[in-house]
Amino acid sequence: MLTSLYLDRASAIHRLHPVVKLFGLFVVFWSVFWVDRPLALVPIAVLLILAAQVAGAWPNFYAFRWFLILMIPPTMIEWMAVYRQGPPLIDFWFIHLSGAALRYGFGKGLRLAELLAASILFLSTTTVEDFSQSLINLRIPYRVAFAMSLAFRLVPLFMDSALTVVQAQRLRGYDFDQGNVFERLRRYVPAMIPVFMGALRRVNNMAMALEARGFGAGVRPTNLSAYSMTRRDVVACALLIVIGTVYFLLYLYGYGAVTP
Amino acid sequence: MSATPASFAPAAALERVTFSYRDSASRALCEIDFVLRPGEMVGIMGASGAGKSTLVKCLNRLVPAFEDGDFSGRVTVAGASSDDRPVSDLAATVGMVFQDFEAQLFSTNAGLEVAFGLQQAGLPREEIIARIGPALEAVGLGGFESRDPTTLSGGEKQRLAIAAVLAMRPRIIVFDEPTTDLDPEGRAEVLELIQSLRGQGLSLILIDHDAEALRACDRVLLMRDGAIIAEACPEQIMPRVADLESAGVRPPDLNRAWATLGLEPHPRDLATAERYLRERLGERLAATDNAARDARPIAPDRNLLTVSALRFAYSTAAPAIEDVNLTIAAGEFVAIVGRNGSGKTTLAKLIAGLLTPAAGVIRLDGRDRHELSALEAAQAVGYVFQNPDHQIFAATVEDEVAFGPQNFKLAPDEVSRRVAEVLAAVDLTALRSRDPFLLSKGERQRLAVAGILALRPRLLILDEPTTGLDYREQRRMMTLIEELNRSGIAIVIITHTPWLIADYARRVVLMRRGRIRFDGSVSEFFADEDLLKLASFRPPEINLLARRLGLDALNVQQFVTAIRALRSRDPAA
Repeated sequence: MLTSLYLDRASAIHRLHPVVKLFGLFVVFWSVFWVDRPLALVPIAVLLILAAQVAGAWPNFYAFRWFLILMIPPTMIEWMAVYRQGPPLIDFWFIHLSGAALRYGFGKGLRLAELLAASILFLSTTTVEDFSQSLINLRIPYRVAFAMSLAFRLVPLFMDSALTVVQAQRLRGYDFDQGNVFERLRRYVPAMIPVFMGALRRVNNMAMALEARGFGAGVRPTNLSAYSMTRRDVVACALLIVIGTVYFLLYLYGYGAVTP
Repeated sequence: MSATPASFAPAAALERVTFSYRDSASRALCEIDFVLRPGEMVGIMGASGAGKSTLVKCLNRLVPAFEDGDFSGRVTVAGASSDDRPVSDLAATVGMVFQDFEAQLFSTNAGLEVAFGLQQAGLPREEIIARIGPALEAVGLGGFESRDPTTLSGGEKQRLAIAAVLAMRPRIIVFDEPTTDLDPEGRAEVLELIQSLRGQGLSLILIDHDAEALRACDRVLLMRDGAIIAEACPEQIMPRVADLESAGVRPPDLNRAWATLGLEPHPRDLATAERYLRERLGERLAATDNAARDARPIAPDRNLLTVSALRFAYSTAAPAIEDVNLTIAAGEFVAIVGRNGSGKTTLAKLIAGLLTPAAGVIRLDGRDRHELSALEAAQAVGYVFQNPDHQIFAATVEDEVAFGPQNFKLAPDEVSRRVAEVLAAVDLTALRSRDPFLLSKGERQRLAVAGILALRPRLLILDEPTTGLDYREQRRMMTLIEELNRSGIAIVIITHTPWLIADYARRVVLMRRGRIRFDGSVSEFFADEDLLKLASFRPPEINLLARRLGLDALNVQQFVTAIRALRSRDPAA
């Protein structure tokens, strides 16, 4: 059972200040937002691969391999259908497929995969506590930051209970895969109700345990994370700012677009 | 405890505390007066809903600050009234360890888990770091600082929760059924740890519905319907077998045997009990023939289940099931035991068809599992999950039971016939149109069994069917299972509860690291010291006593019969 993506290592990326890592995640989201062209997305992909190598995050990428790969084709097809510019390779009835549409669709798919990869990388190198601490450093209220970090912990628990519930109902002869998409969604109700009720119970227990351990006392909770801004963090920030700026410039001067 | 209460300010006191939960007609606590002295260890026992948890939650103001309801009375903690104080304010004084150990750990590693409460209190960083090591050390988890709590065993998780409480240096620690969800090994670990915390000036409160666990307390409260109906030292309260039973608590085996035999005084422990009987029965004990016999012979007529050379592994890890061979005949009653993670549930899921074996064959009624249709398989073997809430979803009890038969497209009149029949069997007919979510845990557990029974399986596998139930509900559940067994359904239960095996099972299968290490009669299993150690399993106390005396008895009933037989040999006894 996958409970946390965090890999307990001491790589250069692990040792970066969590706020810098959060900023890095933001810069990836920011950069890919400005460009559609696959070629322009390649440098980000290369950077992510390098970072994964440095952080030793391959086990997590391996676990998500199918998500990363399968994310591209559907997105590609979807966007190809919408994109109508450029000289057509195929022009039949409602299908208008140009070289540009292919590149555009692939870019959209690659972009999504990169976003997922960056998130995996972030969670592989940052503990939940550091994540919420970095949110607190960014002036987000403690309760909100803690709730977000708790959500990460709850997801695997709920997934686990959902899996058990589906098994329990299958044993009673229930067929989840019958009928069209809507029919199938409706058929998941017998699984959703126990998961939901169980979640409510569990969350209530958690809330009680949290209060009993002093959560929400008036004082400002002690920051235990041992990070302080070092020269390495400053350099990393500078690099990230350069990357973000370059991508914005690519957009501004039109190099990021698929068709000029 | 010999100190006069007057010489100490109480660690905590409840005065005429009354509480009723919102939307509940009855009172959860009625006019409770309770004083907790410094350094004292108090046990609280009672059935589910007797008010045990509600009482202790008053100490750190979870009641009424967290739980909604009507509260009256006065609570004093460490000399100060706790009125209107937030729960978090009391966290440093009253620590609480809950039954649900998954829900009380929030952190990425054990060190941060211990630090959590200290961070909330705003303690200086250096102070927090200095406290982590010793707290982990105190619960036997030294060096676990960077371990992910999710990778710990149940007992270790619960000990980590205790470390987190200890680090806060509270004056009072409350343990609210801390061992209910643990295997025997974890249970022993945690109870031992709680004992080791005594004599450090800490006041401890331990809630358990097994009286045996509370025998080491200074004082024991017996609760019923929101009131404290008895309060005394264990030596005085445990002999009141009838009172305990009527309050839904399982009396210790020794006291039950003594009460049934009309013996006085009741023994404090195993050694006293042995000495007592040796003095009274003397050489008559030596004269007993100690030939092993099983009072309840098995009459296998045909094999319902044959498992051969079974192998299974989750992902690429070490196999969870390896070379398992098992045969279960019609009418059998088998208990599968073993530590958590030994492969019990995995084996059950393989038999139920929820997992696919990597190698080996599972035959049901002589036919390979693969060849059976879903309905045929469901009629051959039924599997009841540990947590009934994993399957209950319908709006009424009736609909919940009808769900299975309807899925298999049985005719409506057949469905309603089965629903009626099954509800009568599990004694839920009166509640047939109720909302399942409003039933008690014991009723929900019986409903889950009913849902499976409606498919009429010939073999029923129940995964820890009594976990989290109080004694009365456990008995009721087991009586139901015994009746099903008598009606011809073969039973396999996965369980950790020794007395339950002694009272009901006829055969024990011990699993360890995915393999079957023992398969034989209950008495053989209880007599094999090496095996018991391997499984961290302790037979019921009465069986230990019987064997020390050279008698053959698995449970209280058999013990009483054996002693009566001995007495009748010589009328002078």
